[in-house]
Amino acid sequence: MTNTILVLESVVLVLLTVLVAGLLRSHAEILRRLHALGAGLDPDAPTSELASMPVELRSRVSGSFATAADLDGAGLRDDALHVAVVGTRHRTLLAFLSSGCLTCQTFWTAFGEPARLDLPDDIRVVVVTKDASEESVSALRKLAPPNVSVVMSSTAWSDYSVPGSPYFALVDGGAGRVTGEGTGAHWDQVKNLLRQAADDASDDSREVRIDRELREHGIAPGDPSLYRTAEQIAQESRA
Amino acid sequence: MTTTLAAHGLAIGLPTGWEGRIQRRAVSVAAEQTHAVVHLANFALPEERDDFGGGVTPLMRSADVFVVLFEYGPDAVGKPLFATQGIPRVTADMFGSKRLQRPLPGQLGCQRFFTAHGRPFCLYVVAGSRAYLPRILAEVNGVLTDLDVAP
Repeated sequence: MTNTILVLESVVLVLLTVLVAGLLRSHAEILRRLHALGAGLDPDAPTSELASMPVELRSRVSGSFATAADLDGAGLRDDALHVAVVGTRHRTLLAFLSSGCLTCQTFWTAFGEPARLDLPDDIRVVVVTKDASEESVSALRKLAPPNVSVVMSSTAWSDYSVPGSPYFALVDGGAGRVTGEGTGAHWDQVKNLLRQAADDASDDSREVRIDRELREHGIAPGDPSLYRTAEQIAQESRA
Repeated sequence: MTTTLAAHGLAIGLPTGWEGRIQRRAVSVAAEQTHAVVHLANFALPEERDDFGGGVTPLMRSADVFVVLFEYGPDAVGKPLFATQGIPRVTADMFGSKRLQRPLPGQLGCQRFFTAHGRPFCLYVVAGSRAYLPRILAEVNGVLTDLDVAP
């Protein structure tokens, strides 16, 4: 009888050991995935593959940037909003966020400290969430910084072909077009998006200026003078 | 007009580049009743702003305009101040620097009280400068023409 009890106790002990080991392993996996999503508890832990993932930035050269659209939707306090994005003298950074997405938390926090965003003066941040029917308005009220406009508009998500949150689109109000868009896990990555968009715009304006100056001097595209080598130019100078 | 903003029994057509909010302040005590407050502007409205433009007008440039449509409670109906019936239009002679709630250099203000469909309102307009007043008047009157007030 005693032997039977001992055997049963051993079996139970083995089963409990296996169960605890399984739970610990599952817990470790959950922590690892949380960290990968940017919600890890250890600030000193090395960044994960997602956190170090570069911003996906579509190039303007691809011609895939959409025409921008104004935002119509609801606010968080029984209000209706129309936010002008097109025909404005400023640029607008549309931040498509949600209350439930873990990676979005870092952006909600970042927008609460505008001075640390280090944005150019002509960029206005507007957060766009989905409609109230697809969101938790009470959670959004807790997350929304007091100084940033939040518009609930599923139509805007559709207008800007947003694949998921977080997602960012930079709109040039004067041109009425999106000039950069992409996603990232941290604010620094989004700032890179803005920098690249600015560089693209600068490249475009430089190219236009050079073309104009060449035309003013009678040099059209395909002009042979554009294809002379340094050696040829030196020879002509000597002659 | 490119878009219509509607809420709380008001519908407003907005020109390109304008933005707006129609809101109703949260009640602080159960017995309190709040009414519609409309803010319209041809520039980016800051999120933190008072009913009559505190936090907004210091940001305005010369060509800017800020419009407030503030609804009062039913007890104001029939009072002499709200005797004007129907949505008013604005003219240059209605504007002055002394009509501003918060005087700022160069800015001009205009206030009109009226009742539309039994609802008492104050229309308050701040113009960024006299130089742009003709264009501002045309735009504001265009917005007022497209304003619908439900009874």
